[in-house]
Amino acid sequence: MSTGQLIDQTAGPGAATPSARRPAGPTRRPTSLRTRRAWSFYVFTGPWVLGFLVLTVFPLAYALWLSFTNADGLSDNARFVGLDNYREVLSDPATLDSLWRTGVFTAITVPLTIAAGLLLAVLVNQPIRARGLFRTLLYLPAVVPPVGGALTFKLIFDRDSGAANGALDAAGINGITWLVDPYARYVLIALTLWGVGNGMIISLAGLQDVPRELNEAARVDGASPWQSFTRITLPLLSPVIFFQVITGIIGSLQTFMPLLIALNPTPAGVTSVPESNYFYMIHVFAQYFANGRYGYASALLWVLFAIICVVTFLIFKLSKGAVFYSVEPEPTKRKARTIGGGR
Amino acid sequence: MSVFSRRTVVYMILVAVLVLMLSPFGWLAITALKDASELRALPIHWWPHEPTLGNFEQALTLFDYLGYARNSLTIATLYAVLVTLASAWAGYGFARLEAPGKKAVFGVLLSTMMLPGVITLIPTYLMFAKLHLVNTYMPWVLWGLSGAPYLIFLFRQFFTNMPKELEEAAIVDGCGQVRIFWRIFLPQSWPVMATSFILSFSWTWGDYIAPALLLDDARTTLAVKLAIGYTNEHGAQLSNLVAAGAVMYVVPVLVLFLIMQRGFISGISTSGLK
Repeated sequence: MSTGQLIDQTAGPGAATPSARRPAGPTRRPTSLRTRRAWSFYVFTGPWVLGFLVLTVFPLAYALWLSFTNADGLSDNARFVGLDNYREVLSDPATLDSLWRTGVFTAITVPLTIAAGLLLAVLVNQPIRARGLFRTLLYLPAVVPPVGGALTFKLIFDRDSGAANGALDAAGINGITWLVDPYARYVLIALTLWGVGNGMIISLAGLQDVPRELNEAARVDGASPWQSFTRITLPLLSPVIFFQVITGIIGSLQTFMPLLIALNPTPAGVTSVPESNYFYMIHVFAQYFANGRYGYASALLWVLFAIICVVTFLIFKLSKGAVFYSVEPEPTKRKARTIGGGR
Repeated sequence: MSVFSRRTVVYMILVAVLVLMLSPFGWLAITALKDASELRALPIHWWPHEPTLGNFEQALTLFDYLGYARNSLTIATLYAVLVTLASAWAGYGFARLEAPGKKAVFGVLLSTMMLPGVITLIPTYLMFAKLHLVNTYMPWVLWGLSGAPYLIFLFRQFFTNMPKELEEAAIVDGCGQVRIFWRIFLPQSWPVMATSFILSFSWTWGDYIAPALLLDDARTTLAVKLAIGYTNEHGAQLSNLVAAGAVMYVVPVLVLFLIMQRGFISGISTSGLK
């Protein structure tokens, strides 16, 4: 009699069987199926947990420790300085200015990209010809790696050979030195908006999950297209928009894109970033890699980390009641979503 | 109703946006085809009068372009293979196994998806520097082996929906969980594996900040070298070479995307909906 049959008779495989009740076969260890499955769980998820502890938690803790010292990354005699670094963060005008600039940039680009992405998603969700092609091509810029996009925009906005000044010249307007103050910020915003395809695809996925019958019923009841969009589609899209707000803000607050369109795009080249693009993360790079102030820079990192946590928490709180999760089918049970134009 | 039908208006907007969105690609290509004298022409030439492919040749030789491309390829492949297998491994655990504390661990996994990655990178760099792992590919091996939360989540979603009978039959036959994963579940998940491979490969190929911090000039990736490599002896940017180099760097990614759209898109849109 095999062990397999034994298990089959008692409770069925997969079910949790107390080991005392199950007759132990000669080749089986006296551990229950449940215990073995539990061990397996730890074996399967262990590498990730270990990686998380070693590669994320430990570095963050290390930075926290550094932030209470005056470490400079070179000499070994770092001294404990208490809260001095944090005090300096709050009183350093360069820090506060960079934080303000980053905040303004976030407040401009996050709503803009989400709104534009949603608009494009609505347009390419219409029953028009070649919409698959439109989806693919509109998404294409979002696939371009950051360095590729940054170099492309540096070429477009080059003072002498760029297309932007070429167009101004053709219109009889004097050329602009785009990549320095105060215009560099507009180049950065344009580059950010170029990636709008990402938001479009996420919103499109959301739109395709809105049950068609709901909008049809509303139209039958005399709702205008605008009403049916704002009263039905938009609320159902709220989780998707919410997701984009959160990830958009987190990404934007820690962006280092200004570095890539600067004259010298290396971690030590932060001094070549024009002031209008001197964002918080650029300031952090400057402290680490140009000034060697590891302690102060680590404090800056932790302050940003705290800001991101607080902002995320506040958005979660504030959006309660505004985000609907009711019509949320299981992700993998949804129809395969492609941008290939399937209807 | 107006003179134009609604459909026409939609087309007009889409075409206008499309032209705007694709024009940077156009300018990149046009700049890549201009020789140095045409680049300086005033007023600028909207179309190269004497298009040349010489820039591509120079872009390949001004520094060891193919060598840096090989560095990128090595790191990206290494990471993509490891992270795909490791994420499938962890995803299986979250999808099919039960244990005390599972809920908590899964909660941590989900919240790490929101962790600000750039913030943790600099301290990680400091740690790797202390461990003398800077200038090696070990950081990518370690990152790969621990899996990526987002990919783990993708695999978990896929494995959760597989029929229970698959596993039960195997248990009856005396298979351990590792064999069940390796023989039954992993082979079934090839669409997710393909998606995971492509996504992680293109992240790494496109990543700038990690190689910029962790690797020195000789070992770094194409993304980093491209950003700083094309200057003349006075430090001035050689725009036409930058363009040619960027074209060769970006086109493979675009081609990969166009071939594998389905995987790309399903991966990206799932991330928006938990």
